[in-house]
Amino acid sequence: MYNECCVWGQEGWRVSLAISALLSVAQRTCQGLQLLVGSCAEECYLESDQTSLYHAAKGLMTLQALYGTIPQIFGKGECARHVANMMIRMKREFPGSQNSIFPVFDTLLLLDRNVDLLTPLATQLTYEGLIDEIYGIQNTYVKLPPEKFAPKKQGESGKDLPTEPKKLQLNSAEELYAEIRDKNFNAVGSVLSKKAKIISAAFEERHHAKTVGEIKQFVSQLPHMQAARSSLANHTSIAELIKDITTSEDFFDNLTVEQEFMSGIDTDKVNNYIEDCIAQKHPLIKILRLVCLQSVCNSGLKQKVLDHYKREILQTYGYEHILTLNNLEKAGLLKPQTSGRNNYPTIRKTLRLWMDDVNEQNPNDISYVYSGYAPLSVRLAQLLARPGWRSIEEVLKMLPGPHFEERQQLPTGLQKKRQHGENRVTLVFFLGGVTYAEIAALRFLSQMEDGGTEYVIATTKLINGTSWIKSLMEKLEPAPF
Amino acid sequence: MYAGAGPVVPGSDAAMKGAGTQQTLPALRGILQFQMSLDCPLRYKRLTIEVLLDRLVLRRLYPLAIRICEYLRLSEIQGVSRILAHWACYKVQQKDKSDEEVAHAINQKLGDTPGISYSEIAARAYDCGRTELAIKLLEYEPRSGEQVPLLLKMKRSKLALSKAIESGDTDLVYTVVLHLKNELNRGTFFMTLQNQPVALSLYRQFCKHQERETLKDLYNQDDNHQELGNFHVHSSYSEKPSSTIWVFAARGFPPSPCSGRVGALQNAVDEYYKAKNEFAAKATEDQIKLLRLQRHLQEDFDKPYLDLSLHDTVSNLILDGHHKRAEQLYRDFKIPDKRYWWLKISALANRGDWEEMEKFSKSKKSPIGYLPFVEISVKHHNRYEAKKYAPRVTPEQRVKAFVLVGCAADAAIEHKNETEMNFVLSKCTASTDTAVVEKLNRARAQLLKK
Repeated sequence: MYNECCVWGQEGWRVSLAISALLSVAQRTCQGLQLLVGSCAEECYLESDQTSLYHAAKGLMTLQALYGTIPQIFGKGECARHVANMMIRMKREFPGSQNSIFPVFDTLLLLDRNVDLLTPLATQLTYEGLIDEIYGIQNTYVKLPPEKFAPKKQGESGKDLPTEPKKLQLNSAEELYAEIRDKNFNAVGSVLSKKAKIISAAFEERHHAKTVGEIKQFVSQLPHMQAARSSLANHTSIAELIKDITTSEDFFDNLTVEQEFMSGIDTDKVNNYIEDCIAQKHPLIKILRLVCLQSVCNSGLKQKVLDHYKREILQTYGYEHILTLNNLEKAGLLKPQTSGRNNYPTIRKTLRLWMDDVNEQNPNDISYVYSGYAPLSVRLAQLLARPGWRSIEEVLKMLPGPHFEERQQLPTGLQKKRQHGENRVTLVFFLGGVTYAEIAALRFLSQMEDGGTEYVIATTKLINGTSWIKSLMEKLEPAPF
Repeated sequence: MYAGAGPVVPGSDAAMKGAGTQQTLPALRGILQFQMSLDCPLRYKRLTIEVLLDRLVLRRLYPLAIRICEYLRLSEIQGVSRILAHWACYKVQQKDKSDEEVAHAINQKLGDTPGISYSEIAARAYDCGRTELAIKLLEYEPRSGEQVPLLLKMKRSKLALSKAIESGDTDLVYTVVLHLKNELNRGTFFMTLQNQPVALSLYRQFCKHQERETLKDLYNQDDNHQELGNFHVHSSYSEKPSSTIWVFAARGFPPSPCSGRVGALQNAVDEYYKAKNEFAAKATEDQIKLLRLQRHLQEDFDKPYLDLSLHDTVSNLILDGHHKRAEQLYRDFKIPDKRYWWLKISALANRGDWEEMEKFSKSKKSPIGYLPFVEISVKHHNRYEAKKYAPRVTPEQRVKAFVLVGCAADAAIEHKNETEMNFVLSKCTASTDTAVVEKLNRARAQLLKK
């Protein structure tokens, strides 16, 4: 059973206060701490503004005041280094604040978003990930088209269909949602049909209840069964809505190209599908995601290819996007190949990012969340726990930013002795945003039998490819005539 | 009146030893009252520890006060730190000792005792006019953020800036930067920022939102032509166009930072060339060309064209039947064939001009094949037209085309191709296509028999 803690704040003090309030409620079962601090991506990477990092560091100090000093800090990326430095400095500035709380977290892992630019660009394929990609989840709420949610009454005419979007809350207090949210979408159908059978059977029990005692028992179960049935109805409708999209030709073609790029096929040429989509003026964000994905999977594009794409985009969607293209280059998403070498194949092979034999129904590896691609960021966390980063030293150097390890002194009485079979607890903090698919992947690792590590996730923001690219776009509108 | 060093009270240590707090307190009060003489009426029943300590401190009986704190096991922050802070503040007023000595003595005594604010002590020193001493004391202050306000007061702004950056608190950095802006002249201000990249980025952000013109100066100082180019592009979108500017911006007139959209874009072109960004320069030149053209189109056709993308401009022209003009743009802007063909058939379909589309399809071999023609026709619910193009589609795409048109089953049966039949079957829905499904199943069975 796990909950989310959604903490959001623009200023540091609100973040700190909100954390303390929620943490005291959530305790150890909390697996997702979300500190939504402003607009981290544009600030850090476009404008070199480290305000959100400062708040992240302050948030972490508050966390340590409540949950004990974290003895080991690992990190990768410039922002990670900066946050760690600030944490160490802040600790020094308050020397009398040594607390005597037994540490809950063994390790803190700080990761810059730009260490893994690939993952947010790919289309997420978990149930929750797809809901976010298609409809957008805001603070655990989602707004859906109402047609499939109208109660079916016999003889009802079309005029009574609701026009307001249906608003639903999605969290793991809802049993069914907790079960399916992290599954690959292709595995959701069978869960729903199994559930339908169970609930039907439960309702059928009323025919078997003969004695007053049995009837009474049935009636007492009724509210729970009704809740389960309504939950099933909602998620069946949502799954139908998603299925309409995932079975469309357009979705299939788009996914095919994504997977070709991620498995390293033809990343150095202009792609026909992308050209055709531009020619038919498909939504700009879709195009940007694809060209950026190609660029990242090629460690940058050849100047000719890059210029061709840029020209196509400006001519089709308008010159006003020239500054957006500039931003994407600054953020490292769509840039020319500088070193003449493509590092991606080495990174992909060493970290096993592309897994051909993925099992969507009963996964044995985190690559199920993208049906074949293992999120780079989560792989780094996985390898840190076992066997450690020393084994991938060369590959780490190819990824941007420094990597480091810091140790914080614990008073002698508080040093943790690990019991046999007890898991380590690692807090993974994503600086610059995290996707639902990455969260699902980390939860998967936590649940693995011989995993040895339990993960708690914190982030500055929840993102998907669309919201992320949007935040990097420059809106230019001409003054009216 | 007692003055000077702490009191010597015979037996006081003995009185303090081995007795609980409850018993000690009245004893303490008694002793102290005796020592401190009775010129102030002491209601010793109401005398709390804090007040007691305060009175001791006031009389500068620091050692005694500290010993009482230690004996009563008060936490450092409540007890000793407070006393020491008071002592230090008193010490800085001693004019007879040098700054060095005083600072050293204070640091010796205070060390790293928690709860002491060196900045407060430094502030006191500054108030006494001992600026150098204040700075020395500030060195011991571990919290950089605390050092900043005093440093600003002491007019050590550059040092304040370094400390603010060290603390990581961007609000603090902003405060210092804006303070510097008012204090220094422009040149010195920019030079100071140059040496502090963090402060520079923050100031740039501030300018982006509040003072765009200053951004230009900052970039000029850096010779950052790429950003200057971007700056001009941005300005061109917030400029209001005026008719006179069109005259100025005509070719041949020497480029100068004149207001107006095209003017701003021309400035951008120059900066992009300086930055060796050929792509951006050419793209911007194209945009200037396009804007001029759109202006003419607007005048000629009395319809909005300005600020549309090239694609939309051509599309609108075709929609309105101005095919020659559209062709002109296709040539002038070197639109790739594939893209132009997609554009044209979409626009023609929107216009419902099937005749023109057919003519176009025969004008030369289609660079996009003929499946798009089928798709577009079907999208506009025109099966009749779609059927015309289906036969011209390449063999691999033929089944797909026929599925769209609705006579796929017949084609597959004609070709005696099992794969094609399976493909068509997969596209059939049970309810509507029962006849088709039957037909196909029969044909497939026949095939398998052979």
